Amino acid sequence: MTVQELYESIGGSYDSAKKILQMDKLISKFILKLLDDKSCENLMAAAAAQDAAGIFEGAHAMKGVCANLGLNSLSEAASAVAEEFRPGNSRSMEQGELDRRLADIKSQYGKTIAGIQAFASQQ
Amino acid sequence: MTIQTSGYSGRRLVLIVDDQEINRELLGMILEDTYDLIFAENGQQALEIIRENKSMLSAILLDLMMPVMDGFETMENLRADEELRRIPVIVLTAEKSAELKSLQMGAVDFITKPFETHEVIQARVARIIELSEGRDLIQAAEREELTGLYTFIFFAEYAQQLVRYHPDWKMDALVLNIDRFHLLNDLHGRDYGDRVLRLLADEIQAFLEKTDGLACRADADLFYVYCRHQEDYEEILNAIQTGLSRQLGDVAHIRLRMGAYPSVDQKMEFELQMDRAKTACNMLRGNFAKAVMVYDDSLHEKELFNQSLVNGIQDAVDQKQFIVYFQPQYGIQADEPYLSSAEALVRWKHPEYGMVSPGTFIPLFESNGLISLVDNYVWREVAAQIRRWQEEFGITLPVSVNLSRIDLHDPALEEKLLGLLEENGLTPANLMLEVTESAYTDDADRMIAVVEHLRTLGFRIEMDDFGSGYSSLNMLSTMPIDVLKLDMKFIQNVQNEKDFRLIQLILDIADFLKVPVVAEGVENEEQCQMLKEAGCDLVQGYFFSKPVPPEEFARFFEDIRKE
Repeated sequence: MTVQELYESIGGSYDSAKKILQMDKLISKFILKLLDDKSCENLMAAAAAQDAAGIFEGAHAMKGVCANLGLNSLSEAASAVAEEFRPGNSRSMEQGELDRRLADIKSQYGKTIAGIQAFASQQ
Repeated sequence: MTIQTSGYSGRRLVLIVDDQEINRELLGMILEDTYDLIFAENGQQALEIIRENKSMLSAILLDLMMPVMDGFETMENLRADEELRRIPVIVLTAEKSAELKSLQMGAVDFITKPFETHEVIQARVARIIELSEGRDLIQAAEREELTGLYTFIFFAEYAQQLVRYHPDWKMDALVLNIDRFHLLNDLHGRDYGDRVLRLLADEIQAFLEKTDGLACRADADLFYVYCRHQEDYEEILNAIQTGLSRQLGDVAHIRLRMGAYPSVDQKMEFELQMDRAKTACNMLRGNFAKAVMVYDDSLHEKELFNQSLVNGIQDAVDQKQFIVYFQPQYGIQADEPYLSSAEALVRWKHPEYGMVSPGTFIPLFESNGLISLVDNYVWREVAAQIRRWQEEFGITLPVSVNLSRIDLHDPALEEKLLGLLEENGLTPANLMLEVTESAYTDDADRMIAVVEHLRTLGFRIEMDDFGSGYSSLNMLSTMPIDVLKLDMKFIQNVQNEKDFRLIQLILDIADFLKVPVVAEGVENEEQCQMLKEAGCDLVQGYFFSKPVPPEEFARFFEDIRKE
């Protein structure tokens, strides 16, 4: 599987990643690092603990990391949650909607990780 | 302050602070080829590292969102410290809204996330480091060492600040300068020259105590003043001169000049305001009657006229608007005067202005280096003309041409001259090279070297305008010459015993050096006779002929033919 194929399989934007990292081998290096990234885990833990600050930090971190890797849909999903919990912003989301969004993030993230793991096993 | 490098590798040190490993890695990868890097995960770690390495860090790349201590808190801490605040901080952020606050907290630039191309990031970091190092250098040099006045950059900055705070004040731009300052150094030594500069600066400061304004030393003996409008500039200059004499005793040999641009037009760029005052000051060069010149409309007209001449020089060369005239030089030591050689003089037939006097365009082009174009043009025309006369009349007449200071610095000078001679089948003996004193005072050693070399090639060197300046004797004693040119305008009345003795003296010097003398500007029989008796060899002047175009010059050859 090439890096490009990996991106296609996980629904990420290879072009975005290419723009930022510029070399396939770097994209490969960094996408594999996502396997070690804890921001999604942290986000889910904070949500479970109803820790608003923690939710913000986790979502914000996820947004950044995913954006750098060209995982734009994940990045946007995380961004929406981050904005909701940004200190100083007033809450507008209902619990139901928040839960739905978090579940969606978790699911997308899971699929992404699975795809990367498949890619990793081939390296 | 010197450029910071991390000891062992000689590269600059950059700190990257971001809680996300991927960001640290990515930035590290982008910058590791150029810089040595340290990393931190949050503000607290960063501060520790910064304090340890404060004199070595060239820049900090700082993420805003971090646990433990975020970017803003980190910047607050940096700002509170005199030394740490000088290290440039580049903020890493995905939030556009954070930009304003970052700037207010002292950040100098941003790198947005997701990151831009590697080249852009490298360029930004390099530029920020460069700017900050430049700023440090400037800060170190707010005042200049010798006089304690501001340096120009600070002077300009503070002057403009002054204007911003007081937009209703009318300001004057003044430029002060010492006439022929380099001679002061030559005659009395560098220490004395420096002392004069310091005392002059003190007097200027004393003047500024009575009004609002500031001053700087922009260059050697060039002082700029920016002050509230003054009515009487002569009075100011007198006061300064008096102050100087109180300190130094007799200061008759120190001539101060002042150029003034009164009630400046604030819409003009600051540098241009000072330029106007400088233009006015430069006009006083060689003027023994005036010490103060005020910039006004006629000066402006003159500037525009000069600019138009400068703009037109290339066309003048291409279209042969420059015409070379020749003035014959006659040997007078025989029974009858005989045509010996000629001097080439350039005229400009300008399409718009008609005949522009060499007195106008030559100093102008000498001051900006364009004279080289004119000189090269003249050499070419003269070489070709000598050839033509040779073919037509069978006589090879030596002609003297000008060699300006700029030409002496031209590494291709020898090539050009020899090339011309070859093209026209001439030898170096046919082209006499006239050198003036002003060329000597600037870079004497170099000039001597070039001249000596030209002589080894067979060229002959004429020293022009002997006696018109201070360095003639000095020049004579160190530089090899072949002909001395004496300008009769320095000898007003030949009946006068003193003048006669002066000529005699100069001719004696020439005799001692074993060089012939050409007397220029000879107007009548009387002068000619006197020069003959005194032993002068050659004469040039209206007595024989004014400078004429080549067609008219032909008759001098015909006169010889007839004999």
